[in-house]
Amino acid sequence: MAKKLSDTTMTTARASLDPGARPPIGRLAPLSEFNVKCDERRREIQKRFDEGAGARETLHALCELADGNILEVFGGLLRTHREAQQGFCLLAIGGYGRRQLFPFSDLDILFLFGSRRAEQEFRPLIAELSRTLWDLGFRVSSAGRTLEECKRIEEDNAEFHLALLDRRFLAGDETLYEKLDKKILATSEKQARPFLLAQLQRLTQERLARCGNTIFHLEPNVKEAPGGLRDYQAKAWFRHIEGSGASGADLMASAVDFLSSIRCFLHYRNGRNDNTLTYELQAAAAQRGLGLPDGLSRNPEEWMRLYFRHARTLNRQLLRYLEQKGFVRPSLRQRLFNAARGPKLEPINGKPFAVREKLLEVLDQPALSDRAVTFSLFGEAARTGIQLSHSAEFSVAYILTHPELPARNTEMTWATLRDILAGDYPGLALRPMQRLGLLTDVLPELRAIDSLVIRDFYHRYTVDEHSLRAIEHLQELAEPKDERAAYFTDLWKSLEQRELLIFALLLHDVGKGMGMENHIIGSLEALDSAAIRLQLEPHEKEEVRFLIEHHLDMTATLLRRDIFDPETIATFSKTVSTVERLSRLCLLSYADIHAVNPEALTPWKAEMLWQLFAAASNYLNRSVDRDRLHSIQEATVLDEVVRQAPDAAREDIERFLEGFPRRYLAVHTPLEIAHHFSMYKKLNNDSVQIELKTARHAYSLTLLTQDRPALFAKISGVLASWGMSIMKADAFANAAGIVLDTFHFVDLHNTLELNPGEIARLRQSLSDVLKGYAALEPLLQARMLAIQSRSPKVAVPTKISFDDESSAHSTLLEILTQDRPGLLYEISSILSRFGCNIEVALVDTEGQKAIDVFYLTRNGVKIPAELQHRIANAFSGPI
Amino acid sequence: MKKIEAIVQPSRFDSVKDALREIGVEGMTVVEVRGHGRQKGHTETYRGREYTVDLLPKVKLEIVLPDSLANSAVDVILKTAKTGKIGDGKIFLSDVTEAIRIRNEERGEKAL
Repeated sequence: MAKKLSDTTMTTARASLDPGARPPIGRLAPLSEFNVKCDERRREIQKRFDEGAGARETLHALCELADGNILEVFGGLLRTHREAQQGFCLLAIGGYGRRQLFPFSDLDILFLFGSRRAEQEFRPLIAELSRTLWDLGFRVSSAGRTLEECKRIEEDNAEFHLALLDRRFLAGDETLYEKLDKKILATSEKQARPFLLAQLQRLTQERLARCGNTIFHLEPNVKEAPGGLRDYQAKAWFRHIEGSGASGADLMASAVDFLSSIRCFLHYRNGRNDNTLTYELQAAAAQRGLGLPDGLSRNPEEWMRLYFRHARTLNRQLLRYLEQKGFVRPSLRQRLFNAARGPKLEPINGKPFAVREKLLEVLDQPALSDRAVTFSLFGEAARTGIQLSHSAEFSVAYILTHPELPARNTEMTWATLRDILAGDYPGLALRPMQRLGLLTDVLPELRAIDSLVIRDFYHRYTVDEHSLRAIEHLQELAEPKDERAAYFTDLWKSLEQRELLIFALLLHDVGKGMGMENHIIGSLEALDSAAIRLQLEPHEKEEVRFLIEHHLDMTATLLRRDIFDPETIATFSKTVSTVERLSRLCLLSYADIHAVNPEALTPWKAEMLWQLFAAASNYLNRSVDRDRLHSIQEATVLDEVVRQAPDAAREDIERFLEGFPRRYLAVHTPLEIAHHFSMYKKLNNDSVQIELKTARHAYSLTLLTQDRPALFAKISGVLASWGMSIMKADAFANAAGIVLDTFHFVDLHNTLELNPGEIARLRQSLSDVLKGYAALEPLLQARMLAIQSRSPKVAVPTKISFDDESSAHSTLLEILTQDRPGLLYEISSILSRFGCNIEVALVDTEGQKAIDVFYLTRNGVKIPAELQHRIANAFSGPI
Repeated sequence: MKKIEAIVQPSRFDSVKDALREIGVEGMTVVEVRGHGRQKGHTETYRGREYTVDLLPKVKLEIVLPDSLANSAVDVILKTAKTGKIGDGKIFLSDVTEAIRIRNEERGEKAL
């Protein structure tokens, strides 16, 4: 809350002084006497505090000291000026009004006048009073109002009205105060209730936003930051204005006492109204066990965890008031209409929760004792982007803290967690899970970094907060707020296996809480234990392991290497090995830097990060056939594959792998490779080996056969004829001409899902077309007509480029065009018509855009320039 | 007193900073900048999106130091920032007439 009270009749005391008109101090009383007494008393209070007196006692004593001095000075001045006190009184307001006067806080005083005339009469006295109080060491922040002025609500000065809520009579004409308190303000505050609530909500939201909306600052301001004393006061004001009384104070009393102790301590140590709990003062406070019932020393990390626990209590109590949409009470007519309309909340898919005013609400609290229901509530938030209301969060908290409601299904499986992490808004689930302690139930490894302060010049937040912020920065990419985010938006939207990235972000800094020199080792240990408990698939764990292990590599490369040097790009790309992994690492780096502090990700760094990503991505896409496998050099991989295929001869596996692009190893696990090998061994029985699997959101087709003309075109043609939309595809060949094609496609019409028998027919169809038993064209005819009649939602212009430089053996063709069903068939058919052999294909989609890279040869050599020109012409019309 | 403004490759910045510290240069101001000299930019494409890298990322250091330290600081920067390739950056040296520490109003080399 802004401290300054605006004033129509007086400025703050110091500013109002006129040095020329300064009366001699001697007229009042010997000031030195006052001063000595006052200073002595202050020192006593401080001594008591240093000896262990609590904050309440200290604040009370300071308040009494101020009250006593004001009464004495005011009485003396009235006598000196021979004034009666009628028509004038002094009010304590703000923190002083509620008797929470910290050692170096301002003394908020309101001078209240019965009339303009009284104001004129008392002006000299007020000037002298203020000056005397300043000289006695009180920081007076005053305002003056006539009774008439107090009837008016000052719309541009809500802070004044909020401070006035904590008024109490100090000295002077008590009848005047009674009139103000019981009549004028009682009426005006009631009338202004919606205004005051709205203003308080606005001011609070602005304050919290200024502090990043988190309690987890490494060096928090114990007054203004979220979770600070201002949160408690704001909550008290909300309740006061609503007329709800002061209940709930017990819940917060220990938190308020703890933070008040800290604030007193900071004032005394800093010698001024500075409320920042710096690293040094954290250590000093922890050393003396400040605020703790036993008063025993703690280490700073442990003591700060207690601080955050109390701050969390204060912040949570406040936040529920901030989600209220409007404070204007509905009219009687509106209330009757609402009542007649009946209950508005409809359960979501039979679950005991619903959406109200864009927030998830719990309809049936006891149902939450089934933890699976609670988890699905978080899953819903992560999927839809609708956040839990605070009352929903309280419902979950109630269930978690009441053992008389026995919990069921308390284990969260990887499948459930994966759905939360893979959502578009994982932060909206993880944040309340963390607040409720559920996140550490699911991932106990995170306890190591719970509210952990690590002293670091750059980091602004605790380690757990840093990790959650990183995840939230990613989910914000859906709607980029600035140029820094804009680079990475498409990458985030089209990212595969997002859950692995989010999981890696949750764990990437856990090692910082393990006291190891290299925190990455600790984080990897945390992954090991979490992966066993959650039963991650080996390839999933491997991917997360890579991201954690290399989470600093991309940042280090862009800051410490020349990213415009091809050698740097080649070295970095080889470490990353696939574009998919590169995308995840890039987004992890983006989020990790961004979450250090609000200024850490400068546009300069964001641009460099993206340039490194783009260069590495281009390198990986353009070097696929440069780097071929030579089985003899791959002992480790071979060992792994042999272990997965114990019946196979090692030499046979070597023969199978020989000549595949290295990318083949990077995108397939040893288990998958062993399986491919078993398909390869069956080629003697059936020359086309097909495997069709259901993935989570798509199907994946693996096809192994001897290379033949137009193979890729035929496979994509059959899939198109079945109405399948190909999202991604790889085509690799080994040295013996065995082709392994992988297609990931979406079943647009749910044909396979609704008719499981059709899966066998699709396999048969593929086999027949490839073996020449059936023609493709009749299958495609009807489908292509339907496809061509559809107009695209977003127009993507076609761009074609050839590259003879990147590969020693092939010409690279990159095609960007409007994605649609059947597109890949059309492209590969055109290439086939020109006699091009597809050595490698990398097919991808990004929203409405298809991005396809083909490594082409014709008669075993690169595509001649003249033919490139003709192919480009063929693509120049609608593809 | 001299002022050194050095524009160096981001990848060389850490080495330059460490080397300057070793010879006793305590303070410096560092700015992330973009620019180009003779090292003109180039055009790149990523997934069909063309982007021109015409302003290349650099780090600019500003150091004010006693005359006695200026030459050795320049030597250190030259030695540590040089890769021999275009784009290694520039060093600008100029005279400074006065330095004032705001906190206590100390002046001259004492304020550095």
